[in-house]
Amino acid sequence: MAIRLFLGFVVSAFLWDAAVAHGGVVQEEDLCVIKVNYLRAHFKIYQPRASGHKQFCEDLPLASESVFVMEYQHDALKGMPIDFRIIRDVTGKGRFARMEDIEQIDDLDGVTVFYQEAVIEPDVFTVMHEFAGEGEFIGIVSATQPDTSKVYAAVFPFEVGFTGVGYWPFFIAVLVLLQLQYLVMSGRLKLWMKGRWSGAASSFLICAVLVAPVAAVFAEDGELRVSYSTPAGPPEINRIHSWILHLESADGVPVENANIEVIGGMPEHDHGLPTQPRVTEELGNGDYRLDGMRFHMRGHWEITVTVVTTEGSSVVVIPLHL
Amino acid sequence: MNSTLLKIGAAVVVAVVIIFGWQNRAIKPLAWTDTEIDVLRSLSLTSLPALPPDPSNAVADDPQAAAFGEQLFFDPRLSANGGISCSTCHQPERQFTDGLPKGQAIGTSKRNTPSIIGSAYSPWLYWDGRRDSQWAQALSPLEDPNEHGSSRQQVVAVVAGDDAYKSTYQALFEKLGDVSGNDPVALNIAFANVGKAIAAFERTLLPTAARFDDYVDAVADGNLQQQESLFSDDEVWGLRLFIEKANCTQCHNGPLLTNNEFHNTGVLSSPGELPDKGRVSGVQKVLSDPFNCLGEYSDDPRRQCAELTFVRTGPELIGAVRTPSLRNVELTSPYMHKGQIATLAEALQHYNEAPDAMIGHNEAKPLALATRELHQLEAFLKTLTASEAVHQSESM
Repeated sequence: MAIRLFLGFVVSAFLWDAAVAHGGVVQEEDLCVIKVNYLRAHFKIYQPRASGHKQFCEDLPLASESVFVMEYQHDALKGMPIDFRIIRDVTGKGRFARMEDIEQIDDLDGVTVFYQEAVIEPDVFTVMHEFAGEGEFIGIVSATQPDTSKVYAAVFPFEVGFTGVGYWPFFIAVLVLLQLQYLVMSGRLKLWMKGRWSGAASSFLICAVLVAPVAAVFAEDGELRVSYSTPAGPPEINRIHSWILHLESADGVPVENANIEVIGGMPEHDHGLPTQPRVTEELGNGDYRLDGMRFHMRGHWEITVTVVTTEGSSVVVIPLHL
Repeated sequence: MNSTLLKIGAAVVVAVVIIFGWQNRAIKPLAWTDTEIDVLRSLSLTSLPALPPDPSNAVADDPQAAAFGEQLFFDPRLSANGGISCSTCHQPERQFTDGLPKGQAIGTSKRNTPSIIGSAYSPWLYWDGRRDSQWAQALSPLEDPNEHGSSRQQVVAVVAGDDAYKSTYQALFEKLGDVSGNDPVALNIAFANVGKAIAAFERTLLPTAARFDDYVDAVADGNLQQQESLFSDDEVWGLRLFIEKANCTQCHNGPLLTNNEFHNTGVLSSPGELPDKGRVSGVQKVLSDPFNCLGEYSDDPRRQCAELTFVRTGPELIGAVRTPSLRNVELTSPYMHKGQIATLAEALQHYNEAPDAMIGHNEAKPLALATRELHQLEAFLKTLTASEAVHQSESM
């Protein structure tokens, strides 16, 4: 019996892989991914009224208001018209339904419960559908390549009112038992219990070495020195202002005719500057006017200055504490 | 046997009481260091700079324009059904908000009604920053079918048809030209001028000092006795959490307790609606707004529009909305861009958990504050309520 269940699991996992090769939804470690042919997007479904912030990958627990979200991992999707259809599963194939099965449905509109016409969503794709009842459904996402008109599709069967947990608990229990048996038989469990404290101490030491402070490099990359001044007084938060950047070589010669790009952000908060500053004027003597600087939080900022001249290019990071 | 059980029971009760008492013992607040005092000062109204000029609006600081704008602000004739004015949603007695999740006018507005107080300091208006001046903002609700539901022709016709309005208008601006719609530019100029007068009024709506500001003064003076009479220990601890462990001042900074920037904080979508895309779509709207700072209806010949010129977009602005001011926050429920959160306690609980955002990325990290700390933060937030109402509301 156990072997039959196990084999069943292996076979279904194998078949499922075959199904998604054409495009579908897969769970990759922690991430739920929709593959529209080779184009990928982070896929998640919410039932905000019923389950708050809880994310689902395919099967949904209740017939409720459901929000489907695709966050593109391929930039190509940003410019492609995408349409989204949900049909009742009439293929009889359940989990293993594929595009070929969908194509055989005579009256696709007749079995459609939700359809979002093709739209270009440059940032994130979202649709919402309130399921009237529980059952088995199939989602079909198609994206059209604007240049070639080639259509890429993903098909993902799912269940609404999903309560089954499949073979997973059984499978996990078998694994845990096998591992425990191995540990007990080999005597490693005892060894591990003994070594716990010394192990903890050594890992603590390793951590301490890893987090030791690294000397900060201030605004030079060996060949280029960048300094800045702020004519309107020291930088304050929430005020748009200008900088004067001064560029010189390691031996103090001003750098002229440079092409400069400036970006910045707070590494601790994963966000950039609220503005997109630009060098608007070369003032001579290695000085450049940088307009549009604004900070919106106190804390540690890093301003990255990329300088391209006929000599080559340099990247210099200016740390700044506000 | 029974007596042993009784003894164990008694010991457990005593232990629980001791632990509970220890966890909730009153601890005297710590004294503020010089660096902390600097932070406190930066949040106080005494640090509020002078109003930034609005060169795009020639009458921004004209008292006659402000008086005219005040009349327009309360005039329901500027609506499709003659029953809606700006003050329908921006109610002076409610800090210019309406106490509803979403504004109710001709229909239901798309988002929560924000306060107007201090908005002259913001480079961006609306939750998604789709307008870049108070006057450009003031025009949009007039033509929004769910708000005033009016049209620029109708709005200008009201001004042209009211003798007092017409003479004030012509004293402030130029003679009203052909505003029937045959000359779209003339009509737009007149329409923009209506917005500029309303903005001149809104510019006068400024925050007034709260107990918090008095407390900061007392801290700056080193007056301990006054500090203790102004703030309870919980409020002081709440303030310390606000500027330190709870990370509130990352966004709620400066004397208005907002950076007027855009952040995704993972608030759940509003019932029956897709998650709000927020700033990523707001950026496109402000850039294409004919009444923006760079447009032909701006009064600034030099088009000094640093904010619009250096505006940026990017994936981190997906689902990001503008940080609201926390001044008078106790009086401006419900909270968030769709009014999804009803109480301050729930708002704090939301930030304490910082769940993953439905779209985009939640910038806030879970805080893991204890219940008592959340109470202290809430107590502090209530010290931000202005002692006096905004001066304009008295004349209403």
